[in-house]
Amino acid sequence: MSGGVRLEFDDLAKRFDLRVVFRAVSGAAEPGEVLAITGPNGSGKSTLLTILCGLLRATRGTVRYLLSDGGAEIPRELWRKQLGIVAPSMSLYENLDALENLRFLALVRGMRQSEARCRECLESVGLDPARSTIVRGFSTGMHQRLKIAQAILHDPPVLFLDEPGSNLDPAGQDWLEELVADQREHGKTVVLATNDRREMEWGTRRVALPG
Amino acid sequence: MGTVLRWVLFVWMAVIIWAAFYYAPAASGFQGQSSRIVFFHVPTAWVATLAFLVSCIASIRYLRSRDPKEDIRASVAGALGLTFAILATVTGSIFARIMWGSYWNWDPRETSITFLLLIYAAYFALRAAIADPERRATMSAVYAILAFVTVPFLVFVVPRIYWSLHPDTIINTQGRIKMDSRMFQVLMGSLVGFTGVFSWLYSLECRVEGIRRRRQHEVL
Amino acid sequence: MWRFLAEAGAVFTKDLRTEFRTRVALNALGLFAITTLAAVSYTIGPYRIAENDRPFLLAALLWIVIFFAAMAGLDRTFVKEEDTHTAPLLRLSAEPLVVWAGKLLFNFVLLDVLMAILVPLYMVLMGFRVASTAGFLLVLVAGGYTLAVTTTMVAAIIARAMTRGALFSVLSLPLLLPLLIFLIQGTRAAVEGSAEGISDSLRAVVSLGGVMTVVSVVLFPVVWNE
Repeated sequence: MSGGVRLEFDDLAKRFDLRVVFRAVSGAAEPGEVLAITGPNGSGKSTLLTILCGLLRATRGTVRYLLSDGGAEIPRELWRKQLGIVAPSMSLYENLDALENLRFLALVRGMRQSEARCRECLESVGLDPARSTIVRGFSTGMHQRLKIAQAILHDPPVLFLDEPGSNLDPAGQDWLEELVADQREHGKTVVLATNDRREMEWGTRRVALPG
Repeated sequence: MGTVLRWVLFVWMAVIIWAAFYYAPAASGFQGQSSRIVFFHVPTAWVATLAFLVSCIASIRYLRSRDPKEDIRASVAGALGLTFAILATVTGSIFARIMWGSYWNWDPRETSITFLLLIYAAYFALRAAIADPERRATMSAVYAILAFVTVPFLVFVVPRIYWSLHPDTIINTQGRIKMDSRMFQVLMGSLVGFTGVFSWLYSLECRVEGIRRRRQHEVL
Repeated sequence: MWRFLAEAGAVFTKDLRTEFRTRVALNALGLFAITTLAAVSYTIGPYRIAENDRPFLLAALLWIVIFFAAMAGLDRTFVKEEDTHTAPLLRLSAEPLVVWAGKLLFNFVLLDVLMAILVPLYMVLMGFRVASTAGFLLVLVAGGYTLAVTTTMVAAIIARAMTRGALFSVLSLPLLLPLLIFLIQGTRAAVEGSAEGISDSLRAVVSLGGVMTVVSVVLFPVVWNE
């Protein structure tokens, strides 16, 4: 996937029955940059991310994915091909092993000849030795790393990270920082939702949710 | 509905009710005056079916436009349909008891109205179980359409194999209306009247529901 | 086309593999079916029904057992994805119709396995015999497919609602009522060896299955993506 994807959102609001999660949220994320979404617990960071990746509809407002060269808008049905996401609420299959999980996701994502790529991703997150271990037996840190592996598996132009450093040890967090820097270098658009002071530093732009 | 029309409807229904008991004769072959129930039973069954149709059309339109007004229409029509379906079942059951001694016999018409009742009940159970308003609207619209495509199979294909208790196979053995002309007039009048009542209740409820939802939205 | 089949196959295999490692759905269906069958067989048995009532009553009982077993387990494939929080990644990775096809296949296979165990047992325990075996098999397969395609849609609808178990049955029953009637008639015709009865029933079941398939292809993506 060459060429970057720019993400724009305008006047977003979300209400669940009588509870308003947030209102009037706007922002943009550019290729090569990191948009940090910050806010106290319960301010709706994860909800916002879910809306931005197209899994949830906003009550009001617009979200647009635009090709950075040319500015053509990408239709909603194709958003999912442009993105990878790491989130606490999104899990992998507990009864499959690490490699089976990646193979499955690669296949349904339409990747051909994906075996090498799956191994490569597992290796880059340090899970290659555990590739045949059933995910149920993983530690929380291993879970997190596998989630990151699946997010970069198809090399998407947009990467969503929701509290990515949670459950990672300090070495893992260093590695994560390098990963984010690496993604930026390759012209990827990174959207990061976090409370962590260190992670907030990685942001080149910021959207703060009042909560 | 305009005030004039409402008064017309009121007078119309009053006339129909009087006519049902005094103008039309009691049909022969029925116990006493019991045949008069047809002037109320048939229209309620008709309205129950009409409401279902309205609900389905609104559901399809909702899925195309995502306009919340269509969801209001679908759910209001559904609620009215449920009420009229219950009325039809009850009036039918009373009639069956008078005529044939048992409250329920599972003849094709009775089965169809039960089916409609089950669908309405399921529709509202589904709506009650989903918290998010947009998802509730979408899922119930899909279910309404699923139910709709099953109806022809129940109503048309099933009865071809079963005999029917229902009077019109006794009254219309040749499939034509062989009813006394006065009875026919009152029946048609009643159909029109009940459709009018449905129309009035429908537009009223849609407005009320629209206001209720707008008030909720003001929170946002 | 091949792409689609391969991806749908991947969804099917994944579900199969998960199911094989935990066996929850099969257990639920199987246990329900066997228990109901045991109850029916014990109380009614092969001898207590009058000879001329047998075709109809035995046909009805068979399909009632199958239906209730289906209600016990056919929603699992969608509900589990939601409960274990694997649905979001699946939504973001696979085409909606790929998911539909894969899970439909899974439900169909699950039902077939259930019927393969249940029907012979039923025949033995209830003294159930058919004059037309081919007809009976056709009814079973066509009925199984139509049952699977309908319940797959309903399962997708209720997967994210509350009170799922009861809701699945409440929503499925009205949609399955005509099918149930057709299948009972077809099975009874198979017992009596009436070719006309079998073909009438098959026509109805297959057309119902066809209609449901078309409607599912149009509406499943809407439900899945909502």
